[in-house]
Amino acid sequence: MLKKGIIGKVLLLAVLLMVLATGLALPTCRPAEGIPRGWSGVTVIDDALFLGSMDGELVAIDKTTRQRLWPDVLFKQKKSGGFGCGQGDQAVAIYGTPAVTPELVYITGYNGKMYAVNTETGALRWVYPREDEVDPIVGGPVVAGDKVYFGGSDGKLYALDAATGDELWVFESGDKIWGTPAVNGETLYIGSFDKKLYALNVADGSSKWQFETEGAVVSTPLVCDDTVYVGSFDRYLYALNEADGSLRWKYQADNWFWARPLADNGIIYAGSVDGTVHALTADKGEKVAVFDLESPVNSSPVLAGGNVIVAVDAGQVYSLSVNPRQKKPLVNLEEEIYAPLAASDGVVYIHSADDVLYAIDAQSGAILWSLELESE
Amino acid sequence: MVGEIWDLIILSPMINVLIVVSGALFNNFGLSIIILTIIVRGVTLPLTLRQLRSTKAMQEMQPKMAELQKKFGKDKQKLAQEQMRMYKESGVNPAGCLLPMLVQMPIWIALFQSIIRVLAVVPEDFLKLSGHLYTAWPQVFSLVPLNSHFLWLDLAIPDRYLLLPILVGGTMWLQQKMVTPKTGDPRQQAQSTMMLWIMPLMFAFLTMQFPSGLALYWVVSNVISIGMQYFITGGWGGLSSQAAAKPAGRDKRYLTRITMAEEKAADYADTESDIGADVGADIAVPDTTQAGGAAPTRYQPGLRAMKRHPKKSKRPKRR
Repeated sequence: MLKKGIIGKVLLLAVLLMVLATGLALPTCRPAEGIPRGWSGVTVIDDALFLGSMDGELVAIDKTTRQRLWPDVLFKQKKSGGFGCGQGDQAVAIYGTPAVTPELVYITGYNGKMYAVNTETGALRWVYPREDEVDPIVGGPVVAGDKVYFGGSDGKLYALDAATGDELWVFESGDKIWGTPAVNGETLYIGSFDKKLYALNVADGSSKWQFETEGAVVSTPLVCDDTVYVGSFDRYLYALNEADGSLRWKYQADNWFWARPLADNGIIYAGSVDGTVHALTADKGEKVAVFDLESPVNSSPVLAGGNVIVAVDAGQVYSLSVNPRQKKPLVNLEEEIYAPLAASDGVVYIHSADDVLYAIDAQSGAILWSLELESE
Repeated sequence: MVGEIWDLIILSPMINVLIVVSGALFNNFGLSIIILTIIVRGVTLPLTLRQLRSTKAMQEMQPKMAELQKKFGKDKQKLAQEQMRMYKESGVNPAGCLLPMLVQMPIWIALFQSIIRVLAVVPEDFLKLSGHLYTAWPQVFSLVPLNSHFLWLDLAIPDRYLLLPILVGGTMWLQQKMVTPKTGDPRQQAQSTMMLWIMPLMFAFLTMQFPSGLALYWVVSNVISIGMQYFITGGWGGLSSQAAAKPAGRDKRYLTRITMAEEKAADYADTESDIGADVGADIAVPDTTQAGGAAPTRYQPGLRAMKRHPKKSKRPKRR
């Protein structure tokens, strides 16, 4: 009887704790929640497509034959673990879109490392930092001149020698950096969770000016015609004077601006996670049109075949224009889309959250081909 | 569908309240979790009070339960009937002890989900946070992500110094110890000791796996429980040198019910003896409600004849 009493109570406790542990652990084990998976966009160079898969691989594809240019390059890290999720190695989540030069492909990992891979062969050239790692990297790299730049969750903007990976200078902001830098001439622009947009001198990382918003800045800035356009979590899209960071105009939406805006024919297209795309005049920020797409716009839009192509969280892809005002549904991929869009020769490339790469005709919306990137 | 209801009723309100409170407390998410803990414990106070009193009453009944087991150990159905009768007569609900914990489980899960969203732990989850923010509360958009640092902790990850698991396990052990009765029965003592250690060890293990913000909730909740137990049950309970503390406040009601049940049993024993069936009348049970607990009392199981007993009108009224 004593044993039965103890066993009964222990079982009862075990059941309660199992319920708790299951409730807590399941979200961390589900692919869609609690585990970083990545949302790398596509970079198109000539006939080649480069992107990071959700299996932690750098993939290079011939866009005509859809054959791999070289074997996928796998990046792994030690699994941090979580209740019930086991231990061992796990794939590195890749959020940044690769930066490509004729010599090297640069890619950042959520494991806090940046890799440079030979563009012709896929062989690893260098990794930064060579030992240990920095905090998780969400933004992508940018190459300009002989330097490559990226920001990290440690709040630092790193400038490295593009050929060797040697650290040249580091700029420290007040909070995490999740955005991808934008470089125009001798100035680099980067937003931070400290609510500021920084303009830095690319030579030494010194600050030219900074502009403070009321919310975190994750969106990659757009530099166009002496103006820097950047969205903030305070729900405003800001247009700043490129020379001194002074405010030209600002425009309010109903939710965060996450994606990079797009400029076309004097119109700024800015997607918001409130499910709308706002078309504004570039010079004064006056509203031209608001397109209700009924789902958050997380991925940056792209210009293809003279049309503005936008994808929403729910998987629907649209073609937008303001003259005539038109919202044309192209195709519904029925899968979440976070990755920024890419385009070349009238074809839009979309990397969906189920790790499939789509090639879509920008005019008709027809799926030209799709490729599952998941390794077997 | 279930996910949408969960988000609407539990997750989104919790996220927005946590953000607003953090903003009011100088972007201190740790203080915000402490405030949330106090609110949750305040809302569940009636359940907690019931649990405390029920636990205490069950402690008082343990010797009687042991006798029931001894008497009807081979007849499980009869044993169960007598136990339930004992509980019913004493006004004790055995499942009531678990209710506050069950009620808090959804809070723990929602808090975990809130933490990984508002602290920007994972980009996908942080991006989804935008869908939870109330448009009518414009300040919440600018306040996120929240500051994850509190004291020595990064609330987004487990405590790397392992102080928090020790605090969670330690406070839970204290809480358990306060409600664990001291008994002269070595078998019961062994059982109590095992129960005393399982929960703290399990929660200390969970603390090492999950974000510190969740463990902070557990620590604060445990401290609140210890305080409530001290003031409501009238002392340190199992931590004190005495076997049992003096009953305080509404506890007396439950103890009165136990006494009533005993009296009924005794009365019934008298009746049964008239017909030559003095079952269990020879059982001596140590009374643990008294300090020292040496005075034996008699307990007679089997209360079927209660309603028709002539002494019914002389029983004390319920307070």
